[in-house]
Amino acid sequence: MALALPIIVTMGALVFYPLAVTLWDSLHRVDPMRPGTPFIGLRHYIDLVADENVRQATWNTLVYVAIAVLLETVGGVAAALLLSSVKHGRKWLLAAVVLPWALPPVVNALVWLWIYNPSYGVLNALARTAGLIADNQVWFNDRPAALVLIALVHVWRMLPLTAVIVLAALQSVPGELYEAAWIDGAGPVRSFFSVTLPLISGGLAIALTQSTVFAFNLFDEAWILNGTSRDTRTLLVQVYMSAFQNLHFSYGMALSALVMFVSLAVSLFYILRIQRTTEFG
Amino acid sequence: MKFRAMLLALSALAALASAPVRADDAKPYAGQAITVLLPPWGTLPKTMTDRFHAATGIDVTIQTLGWDDIHAKILTSMVAGSAPADVTEVDWSWVGQFGSAGWYLPLQDKIDAKVIEDVASSKIFRADGKLIGMPYSNDFRVLIVNKALLAKAGVAAPPTTMDELLAAARAVKAKASVAYPIALPLSPSEGTATAWYLLTKAFGGDLFSADNKPLFTTPDSAGYKALAWEIGALKDGLIDPASTGLTDVQVQEFFKNGQAAIDLAGWVGNLAVYNDAGKSKVAGDAVAALMPSAVGKSRSFGLPEALGVPANSQHQGAAVAFIAWWMQPENQIEAYNTLGDLPTSTAVLKTLNEQGKLASGSVLLQQIPTVEPLFANGTPGWYPQFSSAASGAINQAAKGQLTVAQAVAQIAKEAKQAMSQ
Repeated sequence: MALALPIIVTMGALVFYPLAVTLWDSLHRVDPMRPGTPFIGLRHYIDLVADENVRQATWNTLVYVAIAVLLETVGGVAAALLLSSVKHGRKWLLAAVVLPWALPPVVNALVWLWIYNPSYGVLNALARTAGLIADNQVWFNDRPAALVLIALVHVWRMLPLTAVIVLAALQSVPGELYEAAWIDGAGPVRSFFSVTLPLISGGLAIALTQSTVFAFNLFDEAWILNGTSRDTRTLLVQVYMSAFQNLHFSYGMALSALVMFVSLAVSLFYILRIQRTTEFG
Repeated sequence: MKFRAMLLALSALAALASAPVRADDAKPYAGQAITVLLPPWGTLPKTMTDRFHAATGIDVTIQTLGWDDIHAKILTSMVAGSAPADVTEVDWSWVGQFGSAGWYLPLQDKIDAKVIEDVASSKIFRADGKLIGMPYSNDFRVLIVNKALLAKAGVAAPPTTMDELLAAARAVKAKASVAYPIALPLSPSEGTATAWYLLTKAFGGDLFSADNKPLFTTPDSAGYKALAWEIGALKDGLIDPASTGLTDVQVQEFFKNGQAAIDLAGWVGNLAVYNDAGKSKVAGDAVAALMPSAVGKSRSFGLPEALGVPANSQHQGAAVAFIAWWMQPENQIEAYNTLGDLPTSTAVLKTLNEQGKLASGSVLLQQIPTVEPLFANGTPGWYPQFSSAASGAINQAAKGQLTVAQAVAQIAKEAKQAMSQ
């Protein structure tokens, strides 16, 4: 207990106390433009459900989460398997893969802003060269395209983290199991599903959880690439606008609390699901 | 005689002894240090801050941040109970929020009344009768055109009506090989909303009634016509379709590079920048014209920026001294020459024009009397939320996701929601 005390105090002071204050304040009207902070119960939460901007931002965020989690998981596992099979120069390859993750998110988004630029962006040039388009496209004028393009920038930045987590899990799988599977007649695909996947499920749960939480918290990419546009606005952008543009602090707090609970619930679902699969697999 | 001589000597000694006291009176805040938080166009050169130090004995450190970042920094600092700086930017659009929150020191009794009267746009910075900022940048909108491109297209004089404006743009596109003659932002950003407000005035209307009812929802309203005009110009290929992702500052680059002939979102201070050969490819060709009107009377509105003192600043006296110093004519003139901040003093503007040092001076002095505040009763606290909704809906209309009718209905709905919160 004594050894755990520092982390308990730190988490209490930096996480649980602010969280409790945020939840409590979300039940009040905290607005510097108006006097007092009266208790209003669940008023903000009810208003959030009816707020069209929040609904649109929720939908956008769910699209980002779906794309990000899917691509980061598939791509991350593929990258980890590739790295795992490389015998020479793995550390250099790993350094190259990790680079996008090491870049600050704002820098990453600015690089992609240039790539997507309608006048001189590389994407238009490549698409024209490949004969896919005749004229330059304003990519963010099309909502589905804008959502996918922003999600891809996020995936580009976060995929390396999934790859590193899965790579660590892969390295803990004993080689003898693959040899036994091979003797039993299992091919690479069967080995992957029967040996690799069950044994890396713990690492995969962590990777899925971080992918989900980071995708729910997507802000920089959407903000830099398309500003406050409703087409691509995320829940966190909406939180920022409510609290720091419109000065409705407690309304923003209520929305941020909802985002946190939803992302935790989805993450918990993965963990329980994967645990169950492992136990009975 | 000896007695009188002694009295004289004592008087002289007393005068000598009191001399340093008078010097201290002239510099009551000498030795203090203040911080000033402003956007790039408010970052005074060192020669000016050195002069301020010599005049007052106050050390000044200027911190530069982007305009949007300053708003966020002020909000977070004030909520945390600390001053973001001793003097900060106060934009006209923040007056309702900051005034309601009581975050800024009232200046009406601290700045000379004659100075306040001379700065006409100071009225915009009153919240509940309290002056929370003194304007340093006299931003208002005029039409800015490239006279060389207009001449190439056979347009002899700048347009005076909205129809003439469209005709001029079509002529420039056809004869002067300019693909998109009108520079107008259409992204979800403040510059998009303010351009629409300006065009609403150009079509002879206002955004809200005296009791804050939206006046832009019917097809015969000025706001509706203004948005329809913008979307029509976009569909006619007179505005770059990429403008849906560009802010006002970004579309101004088109004008600077000669890729646009008509700037509908430029602030007057830009004239100095457009005509600076070191910063622009169209130097010498950018001229101001009165804002065109569909109803025969040119109108414009002011978007001035001011200097304010956070109520929790620890150096309020020194901060007020800095603002008073900036208001002096020679300092306003130097800020105009070095930063392009159009002086806020009416007297200074007249002097500059008489000396021939004010770019398109006669037009600006003609436009100034037509400059109105966007909100006659002061900028309300819900303005940022409304403005964000307006630019968002305009952006959606420009992308073809909403019709003009749907866009104005959405703006009105969100305006009501902003007012009710």
